[in-house]
Amino acid sequence: MSESPFLSTAKLFALGFGGLLVVTLPWWAGNQYQLHLAALICVYWILIAGLNLVIGYTGQLSIGHVGLLAIGAYAFAILVGKFGWHPGLAVAAAGALGGLCGLALGLPSLRLPGFYFAMATMAFALIVNELVLAQVDLTGGGIGLPGPLLRAPFDSPQGFYYLVAALALVVTLLSWNIARRMWGRGLMAIRDNPVTAQAVGVPLFRAKLVVFVFSGVTAGVAGALFASLQSYITPDTFVFEMSLFFFVCIIIGGRGSIVGPFIGVVVLTALPEVVAPLAKLGHFFYGMLLLAVVLMVPEGIGRVFEVVAERLRPRVVRHDEIAPDLPRLARALRSRA
Amino acid sequence: MLNVIVSGLAIGMVYAAVALVYNVMFSTSKVLSVTTGHISMLGGVFGAYFITALHLNWLVGLVGAIVVGAFFGFATELLAIRRVLNRSDEHLWLLSTLALATMVQQAVGLWWGTEPKPFPRLIAQDFGAGVWDQKFWLPIMIAILMAIGLELFYRRTMYGKLFLAMSEDAFAARARGVSTDRIRVMSYVLSGALGGLAGFAAGQLTFAYFALGLSLTLNGFIALAVGGLGSNIGALIGGAALGLLNAFASHWFGGEYQQTISVGLLMIVLLLKPEGLLGSKNVRPV
Repeated sequence: MSESPFLSTAKLFALGFGGLLVVTLPWWAGNQYQLHLAALICVYWILIAGLNLVIGYTGQLSIGHVGLLAIGAYAFAILVGKFGWHPGLAVAAAGALGGLCGLALGLPSLRLPGFYFAMATMAFALIVNELVLAQVDLTGGGIGLPGPLLRAPFDSPQGFYYLVAALALVVTLLSWNIARRMWGRGLMAIRDNPVTAQAVGVPLFRAKLVVFVFSGVTAGVAGALFASLQSYITPDTFVFEMSLFFFVCIIIGGRGSIVGPFIGVVVLTALPEVVAPLAKLGHFFYGMLLLAVVLMVPEGIGRVFEVVAERLRPRVVRHDEIAPDLPRLARALRSRA
Repeated sequence: MLNVIVSGLAIGMVYAAVALVYNVMFSTSKVLSVTTGHISMLGGVFGAYFITALHLNWLVGLVGAIVVGAFFGFATELLAIRRVLNRSDEHLWLLSTLALATMVQQAVGLWWGTEPKPFPRLIAQDFGAGVWDQKFWLPIMIAILMAIGLELFYRRTMYGKLFLAMSEDAFAARARGVSTDRIRVMSYVLSGALGGLAGFAAGQLTFAYFALGLSLTLNGFIALAVGGLGSNIGALIGGAALGLLNAFASHWFGGEYQQTISVGLLMIVLLLKPEGLLGSKNVRPV
């Protein structure tokens, strides 16, 4: 999507329109719950934008990012609630802790091939849940912890919404910057063929680790904001299926794209709220969606639109007349004779 | 102390049985399916359903659980493996089996309920039997029988040799006239039946619980990776080691850190001996 640094007029128009929608949302949103939902989408997107670099670009199928989200959330709740830190500082600390845990998880597990890596990250999510349940003094165990509010002016729903929207924008820009330059090309090369990538000088392990740590930081920040948004967190909030949700958003949106996963997270978060029967099916629906996408369009839903757009676009057929240059031909024949 | 050893060995043998199921699937398709643990979960849940809710004889329940497992194995191959293996992207099977596993787990959760339900006694026995209780020796016996049976199947029968040929080199087997697609379906049906049997035998130990699948998938995989991918004896050893380690750890330190300890074992083995205790080293093709 970003071969040239200049955006086309259509894209600029879409971006401007989208920006207008985001900024004016508190005025046209029908009720507080819709605003809450919009803020939730932004929080999810902060995590998914980082995770997208890991799954979509680098092809490392991490199914345990909910563990990093939980670490961020609990770090925020404990630092603010028990130690009385400033909430802004606590968000930053949660991000740093998420990055550290990402490093600790990535160092051994990123060396492993596909299925082993997926299992290691899944185990990480289960371990985090186990530790949260075990450390009753710190985390409240199964009872959970209240997620404190941020300071003014971010303590109102509108203020919080603007803050997370701004942060989401920053994270999007960061991941876009990584994706479109040399780094992004290197990551895609690792996804498509690690041996070739290594042969042309992509630092395989280092690139994977850096991106993974970045996704850990965004997951930590998202966790802190998530705790504040949900106002109460328990270990049951961070079930493994939530990880699957992040995963499905990225795969459905399409790997190697930033717009696709964004649309994925918006649609998949809003859809169960709009269509009530889907909410009852819950994660069954996500599983079904993932299976359908993998079987039919493994490149993601975005690919369907591309194919349709190619069909619809008026095809320019050029007719270049090919006429022999008769005098020259005659000259050539004459000189031969 | 004997109690700890026996209970650890019993749960370890459940993991070993799941690891054997992994092995059967892996031999023909080179796929490690996320649904492996869910097959055993289905065996346990449907066993309890047949016996407790439908009041069938436990032998009928056993056959029913095996049939359900075999059918689910077939469905896994049909839905999640066949189309995906025809494409070259090697990660896709992870996604498709993960999707199918989630669907099955959620469907069972909606239908069966999210609480663990007790599994009925199969053989009349006093509850005070201690370490000789059937919930301990049933899974141990079944896992060992499964390993012996699989070894005999691989060494003595024609189909077993076809499985081996496919696991060595699927292209060469195809060139020699083996219908590789059909053998792959057969291996999935067989692994489904074995998984259903294992889940049924372990039912009294693990209860009929919808979320069991994921934990069995993970722990069975750890047993497999510790013992060595593709080795049946290694799967037994890995499962026993994992179960005993878990049992002793919860005996000494309390039960809160089980998962952490199992994954610690996995990491140590992967760092020291990446191919597992009895696995064969494979050379990475460049």
